[in-house]
Amino acid sequence: MEDERDARLRETVDASREPGTEAGRAVAVSINHLSKTYPVPLARLKSFFRRSSRPPVEALRDVSLEVREGEIFGLIGPNGAGKTTLTKIIATLVQPTTGAVTVRGFDSVRDAERVRASIGLATAEERSFYWRLTARQNLLFFARLYGMEERVARRRIDELLNLFEFEDAGRRFGELSTGNKQRLAVARALLPNPPVLLLDEPTRSLDPLAAARLRAVISQLVRFEPPVSILLTSHNLTEVEELCDRVAVIGQGIIRAVDTPRNLRALHKQTERVRLTLRGVERQAIEVSLASVVSELEITEQPGAIVLAFMREMNDDTLDKVLKALAGARGAQVLGVESERATLFDVLTAFQQEEEVKKNAALG
Amino acid sequence: MLRSVKLLLRRVRAFVVRDFQLMLSYRLQFFLRVLTILLMVTTLFFISKTFTGRADCPCAESPFAQWRDPLAAWITGLAVLNYFMTGFSSLANAIRAEQTQGTLESVLLTPINVPTVVVASSAWDFVQATLFSFLYLFFGWLFYGVHFQGSYWLALLFLVLTTLVLSCLGILSASFAMVFKRGDPFAVLLGTGSALFSGVFFPTQLLGAGFSSVSRILPPTYGLDGIRRVLIEGQGLAEVREPLLTLLLFLAVLLPFSLWVFTRAIRRAKREGSLIQY
Repeated sequence: MEDERDARLRETVDASREPGTEAGRAVAVSINHLSKTYPVPLARLKSFFRRSSRPPVEALRDVSLEVREGEIFGLIGPNGAGKTTLTKIIATLVQPTTGAVTVRGFDSVRDAERVRASIGLATAEERSFYWRLTARQNLLFFARLYGMEERVARRRIDELLNLFEFEDAGRRFGELSTGNKQRLAVARALLPNPPVLLLDEPTRSLDPLAAARLRAVISQLVRFEPPVSILLTSHNLTEVEELCDRVAVIGQGIIRAVDTPRNLRALHKQTERVRLTLRGVERQAIEVSLASVVSELEITEQPGAIVLAFMREMNDDTLDKVLKALAGARGAQVLGVESERATLFDVLTAFQQEEEVKKNAALG
Repeated sequence: MLRSVKLLLRRVRAFVVRDFQLMLSYRLQFFLRVLTILLMVTTLFFISKTFTGRADCPCAESPFAQWRDPLAAWITGLAVLNYFMTGFSSLANAIRAEQTQGTLESVLLTPINVPTVVVASSAWDFVQATLFSFLYLFFGWLFYGVHFQGSYWLALLFLVLTTLVLSCLGILSASFAMVFKRGDPFAVLLGTGSALFSGVFFPTQLLGAGFSSVSRILPPTYGLDGIRRVLIEGQGLAEVREPLLTLLLFLAVLLPFSLWVFTRAIRRAKREGSLIQY
């Protein structure tokens, strides 16, 4: 069973790397057998003085994936899974131990400057701006570092401020709201019109309205001409599901699966949670009627109604059996039926549980 | 080639404009600094009067020709020391400031290499140091009648050369900051050492045999000596050949060495993923 699932996972990872798929879109970011082990700082010095040191940290292990042109690619995983390391390697801030990353054909180590000219990175880190400069002064400074001419830079900044409906450009960065700071971070990443955009938790700490506005802008970007390819790292799985064409699940530095959110859900958990709202029946009667039909039944009493919930495998006859059993309970009326399919949260949780099981097995 | 130079200048300008804007946001600090320089020159003027106003003043027959007008010697020393210290410390400070502010990562995400960041982000410090060093001399001339002679171009050559030598040590210091983050030994040695052993406040000859050897291994000693010889004693190129050649020798050794160390430090920080840590 495990082997079969692993084989299916491998298939999805391989399928994601096949050239020419997805309407033959070119590859924007290619990651090949990437591994990163953080060495122990000053290890030789420590060993010379016979000081103990922690073992090196293996952050990424043989990671391979591709982000295609005009695609929003999601990267999800728990804290410490290797998401930030991967983003930083693509952004040339950290060197890989083995393997390679190419951005539009440029190697992240050998052609670091060209890679940086092709990418924009937006993080939720507020300290990455100069707080005493205004929003516009900040953008102008970074535009100059990108080598943009003064006139071009100012025009581009105006375009971006319009795109993000930014009205506080003359205010100091430190005085901006969290939402505006975040939008400014994405605007800065877009300054050089980069073909590749790395977004690291772009909506973290935004209120729902501000997050929705930012998501709307992000989804617009891939429709630009030329389109922007986006690698989105997020803990907000609903956001990832909403925005991403494909998603990679990463855990303990290993890519566990790469596929569309829909396929990932199907791959991992072909079940759904069904909620029935009833009236005209007692809790006890339901429990008696369904005892032999559903093994794990949740019953919640609400004013004037009873809600029962249970899991079923997709396309099995549990729902039919439940409805028939309820028909036998005198007076029962079904007011509503809702079903909730597995989300990326379930997928991630399942992968995490699996990792725990493997870890425990290894520990014996 | 021309395009690269233009691009480099555009980036240096970006840093200078940024730091100027930041300075404007702290206007009071700037004016207080100017006031401090004026007060310092005034204090030194009155201290010098305690010597020069006396009948038995040793200044006139001083064996140390540069010190016959102590005020001129002091303000030259302070002006030049200010410049030298900028050359030495601003490179490491530039990296450290960006690290602690948290802006280094966003700067390094642009297509700019680390050496350019280091040099460009210290450019404003040199602009400021030029202004403040000039103010020492200007206030001395304007309010207290200090006169300078000799070739200003030759003095400038000494200033540039010594600053370059100290910048090499600054590059070593920046490399240290990148790997060890804090506790820079260069800052301690040169920071406190220069004022004491390079003849900023008194002639190095007074140090005695033991300490004068320390003075001889410090580049600022030669820079300061050269500048005073030119500006105070009015000496020409032929007479200041010795300190000039010594500075060139320092530069020839330290420049390739510091660049080599710096390259290794960057590679190491990127490997450890600690480039932006502090």
